[in-house]
Amino acid sequence: MSEANGELGYKEVLEKYPHVPKFVTLKIDAAIRGAILTERAFERARESNAVFEDVVEDQGRLVQRRSIAGAVLRDGTHLCRVSAESEGPRNTLTRGEPYTIDVVDGKLQLVDNGEPVEEVFFATIPEYYGKKTSRGTPMHRVVHAGPPDSLNISVYGFCYFWQQKHPCHYCTRAQQTKGKTEAELEDIVETLDEALREQGKWTAFRLIAGSDPGGSSPYENEANEYVRVLSALRRSFGSKGIPARLVASAIPREQLERLAEAGATTYEPHIEVWDEKLWERICPGKAKYFGRKFWINNAIDAVKVFGRGNVCSQLVGGAELAQPYGFKTIDEAIESDLQGVEFFAQHGVTTSLTILWVQPGSVFYKEKQRPAPLEYYVRLASGMRDIRRKYNLAADFNDYRRCAIHPDTDLSRLDYPEFVN
Amino acid sequence: MVALPPEVVELIKDKGTLKLLATTDEHGNPHAVVKGSLTVLDDGHLAYRETLESSQTNSNLLRSIWFDKKVAVTIVGANRESYQIKGKPYRYVINGSLYKEFYLAARERGGPDSELAGVWLIAPEEVRTQSSKARKEEEERKHPHVRHYDRAVYLSREQSPR
Repeated sequence: MSEANGELGYKEVLEKYPHVPKFVTLKIDAAIRGAILTERAFERARESNAVFEDVVEDQGRLVQRRSIAGAVLRDGTHLCRVSAESEGPRNTLTRGEPYTIDVVDGKLQLVDNGEPVEEVFFATIPEYYGKKTSRGTPMHRVVHAGPPDSLNISVYGFCYFWQQKHPCHYCTRAQQTKGKTEAELEDIVETLDEALREQGKWTAFRLIAGSDPGGSSPYENEANEYVRVLSALRRSFGSKGIPARLVASAIPREQLERLAEAGATTYEPHIEVWDEKLWERICPGKAKYFGRKFWINNAIDAVKVFGRGNVCSQLVGGAELAQPYGFKTIDEAIESDLQGVEFFAQHGVTTSLTILWVQPGSVFYKEKQRPAPLEYYVRLASGMRDIRRKYNLAADFNDYRRCAIHPDTDLSRLDYPEFVN
Repeated sequence: MVALPPEVVELIKDKGTLKLLATTDEHGNPHAVVKGSLTVLDDGHLAYRETLESSQTNSNLLRSIWFDKKVAVTIVGANRESYQIKGKPYRYVINGSLYKEFYLAARERGGPDSELAGVWLIAPEEVRTQSSKARKEEEERKHPHVRHYDRAVYLSREQSPR
């Protein structure tokens, strides 16, 4: 679809960048536009055991929510932002009309403006979904699955940056819960025990939390909560040899050593925006606690703890193009982004790309920001893969199965035979 | 996609058959490996168990599905009967019922240490026999000038004795 303002659509981008596979270009386009299941496709999903129905709280009211386990293209590339709810992607500020997923000639297809583009397959709902812990907690609320093979644990929903009214502008996190009780930790252990009964399903654990800079050293409170949950994980595994990813704040080295000892194997302090002035504006909480140099130096220092290639920063691609204060052209944005990616790579830190989703509750939503054009993401993802190759940095803990939201690490799948973590 | 003849399907499913998968890397360098798990599914796709995410074959198959390149499978039976199948990777299965079926089969055979990265499905596009007798007959039919004269004389005398 060509945009009226001269932006390249999917087919034009494929033609202009033939070295980028159509599957990855399609993944990006579907992420910035969204994809909605037709009723026929939804029935197919139900038949395929790919639908989970739940009652969730949404802006103060209880609503029935139907979610899809995941949609995968023929090559294994995971599609992001697939929704069974017609209002889902529309609530998010997208770029262009959403794709539909429909049944065409008996096959499930991603459809653009009535034209089938690629075949799609559903992942199945985890077997532990729908079960409860011994104290009655629904297990899917304790450990969230996907995308697509990862078990995700929210260490706590609280974020000090939100409390201090300095949220990152793309973020919608605004929960108040702080830390896990002992009963909640036991829920985690029980849920993991149950989840791991399913054979051939899980290839990653990811722990995530909001930022908490407090304690006797920066982010010590946050580190303490991660250690508690990692200890619970070890109770479930009976071993510390299981890879566990931490997506966390800029935790100083002595605390990182505690986390590694507790079982963390990779660490991701996300910078999100490379340009200094834009970073201060878009990530004011990170800027206040404790500044860009602190965040960057922490990532570099973490390589000494976790090893080369096991520390990963992230860019929220498109945030630096927020208007009216962001870059005015995608050329400027990509140049800045790749400078950051290369700087980190020189120090053994890899960087992944996530696509800006502008969702209700975020500052960007109020500002009516939009994701960047498709061509920008294709060029940036390609440039990031090139830098990873140049510095022989793997991305396997953050790849198409273990965290399938990064188009740049999708491209790095080809490079597995060359790289070693 | 073409349907494989029944004798080819039977040969692929025979446990005594040697099965080779040949792919190429980004520079066109060939890479041929034995794939004992290669089989034929009911829908006619070839399928094999890829145990290593980082194998050269996996990378080459991914490149083939991304950029529309062919791969070749050669099968050789215990009686030297042989076929070559050229096709294109159709799908890399990483979850769902088919994946689970292969995963559980791998564990049953190899124990709990068995790993499965994914199941590659290949759509056959050409099948031809590789048995030396059939290939020789084909060449003689298509290229009657391509042979040594002592053999040509021998064949001529065999067919039309003086």
